Amino acid sequence: MLNVKNLHARVEDKSILNGLNLTIKPGEVHAIMGPNGAGKSTLGYTLSGREGYQVEQGSVDFNGENLVDMTIEERARKGLFLAFQYPVEIPGVSNMEFMKESVNAIREQQGESPLSAAEFLKAAKAACKQVQLPLDFLKRGVNEGFSGGEKKRNEIMQMILLKPKLCILDESDSGLDVDALQVVANGVNSQRDQQRSFIVITHYQRLLDYIEPDFVHILAHGEIVKSGDAELAKKVEKEGYAFLGLDDKEVNA
Amino acid sequence: MNPWLNQVIDGAQISNDWLSPIREQSLQTLKNSQWPNRRSERWKYTSLTALENFNTNNNANNNSVNSALAVGSINGLNAIELIFVNGKCQTNIKQLTLPNGLNISDFRDAPIAQQDKAKAVFNHSKPAHHLFGLVNDVMANEGLLISIDENCDIQTPIHIIHHNSEGDDSHLRVLVNIAAGAKATIIEQGHGESSSANTYFSEYVLDKNAELEHTYLAMHTHLAIHISGCHFNLYDHAKLKSTVIAYGSQLSRLDIDVNHCGEHADAKLNAVYLLAESEHFDLHTTIEHAMPNGTTEENVRGVVGDKAKAVFNGRIHIHRNAQKTLAQLNNRNLLLSRRGQVNTKPELEIYADDVQCAHGATVAEMNEEDLYYLNSRGISLSKAKVMLNLGFIQELVNGISNQALKDWLEQLLRTRFLTMEVK
Repeated sequence: MLNVKNLHARVEDKSILNGLNLTIKPGEVHAIMGPNGAGKSTLGYTLSGREGYQVEQGSVDFNGENLVDMTIEERARKGLFLAFQYPVEIPGVSNMEFMKESVNAIREQQGESPLSAAEFLKAAKAACKQVQLPLDFLKRGVNEGFSGGEKKRNEIMQMILLKPKLCILDESDSGLDVDALQVVANGVNSQRDQQRSFIVITHYQRLLDYIEPDFVHILAHGEIVKSGDAELAKKVEKEGYAFLGLDDKEVNA
Repeated sequence: MNPWLNQVIDGAQISNDWLSPIREQSLQTLKNSQWPNRRSERWKYTSLTALENFNTNNNANNNSVNSALAVGSINGLNAIELIFVNGKCQTNIKQLTLPNGLNISDFRDAPIAQQDKAKAVFNHSKPAHHLFGLVNDVMANEGLLISIDENCDIQTPIHIIHHNSEGDDSHLRVLVNIAAGAKATIIEQGHGESSSANTYFSEYVLDKNAELEHTYLAMHTHLAIHISGCHFNLYDHAKLKSTVIAYGSQLSRLDIDVNHCGEHADAKLNAVYLLAESEHFDLHTTIEHAMPNGTTEENVRGVVGDKAKAVFNGRIHIHRNAQKTLAQLNNRNLLLSRRGQVNTKPELEIYADDVQCAHGATVAEMNEEDLYYLNSRGISLSKAKVMLNLGFIQELVNGISNQALKDWLEQLLRTRFLTMEVK
């Protein structure tokens, strides 16, 4: 699915990823934890192709193709999905229209015919119910006036509709109460299968109680310093990052 | 004195008809008027050079009736269509089946009763300082008189289309008298892309409790020179909702005046200009709150691409006795290119001491984060830009009540935004 080798990336003149290696096979869930400033969000942005996140060295292979050379929309069309930590609000563009364009752009790439308005509406309503958002959220502007939790659920709704191959969840649990956390986790779990892989970026073990990871990686100073199974996350939760020789407060990468 | 204006004055033939006294007066004013230049405040950012250099062709091509029909009709609107090509009416008005209470005639064969209603409109809402309004007073031999009788709710939209083709220099006037308690929906649409120079002015009187949903589609492009105005007098409790959708051309100017002549009148004015290539569009709006308890909400948004140039001047003038006025004016602009230009000036002039007013203007570029978000969901850059452009003005287009008009516009604007894309 994804093979990241010796990835170095910078934002402006600041090196953030410093030789990151990560291999993800189909169907696997990888959790990435690490102190603030370790480069977790940068990894998500870099993989998504965000402007300003410059790959300096290394390679990223996504299902046999060089991800680094693709435009942002190509990556999405080939099945990469990033659930944002802070999704933007776009008043005037309805959630429904946005998601329909998006679903059909991805269907077109995969050689499928676009969904009709009625077909899309049916799928959107089902996804909306699944993440427990009221149906009028489909008509509202993209994330316009949504609470933090509603924005996160809206991201998961998009993930459900877009059926990506690799989902990167960037702190999809931050700012959520327990009920919303369960909604998000259930949404993710409903999409887990043999083919779909996940990178779950989080600060807290709490989310991993609901979304059980196959692997847990600790990211610090722009590289993965330790990998393990779910037990590693529990150890971090209990002891902080100190046992790895890391300060669990601010790390200046 | 300017040659173009001289030509107008020399060519003015004030025939002896019911409009002669008004035309004569305007001609006198015109003779004493100064040709505007860049030092004139109202023309500071708009050059009249294109008009000064325009060559009149008296044999303007009149074969474009069909193209006017094709461009003009709006699917599903089921409107009463009134079509003018190069200032000449193409619709047989007498054969139209009109709803009860709606009267339409042209200038030439207006019955006396219609003439009287029109005289109560002509030059009542259009201020005398509009030089090209005076030109129109003198030159517009063709025009429409529309009156709606008291308390009549005319459900069928009235769609006035004017098309100008190569070499045309016609002048058209529309006078609308909406009696007390009556309601109407009127759409005015102008188009033409060939080299032509036209004036088009419409005036409305909304009597007590009258309601008007008005749309002005200023869709002249390319070489067309189009100078127009829409002017409204609102009496007690009258309600006006007006939406302007404008493209630009080598010289395109629209003046809107709303006069609160009665108390508790309500004006909602939404205007959108979408400029491509090296188009120019100049919108001047003036809201006169002469009476107490009036409300005005004016929202103007522009998307300016490539080397286009937008001018907006919005003035709200609150007179000394217009207490309890609520007025707000907002102009937001989205610049799609570094070469585009916006000159915006919102103005508030307040002489009453118990009013609530606000005004503001912004010019910004497209938000990179918004684009990234849409891209990250597989949407192409050009489609994402269209979506964001449309999103920027959607709220104002949504203000239009007529669904068929709204649907038609949305399709039209999507196509428009594709042509505006700056590569």
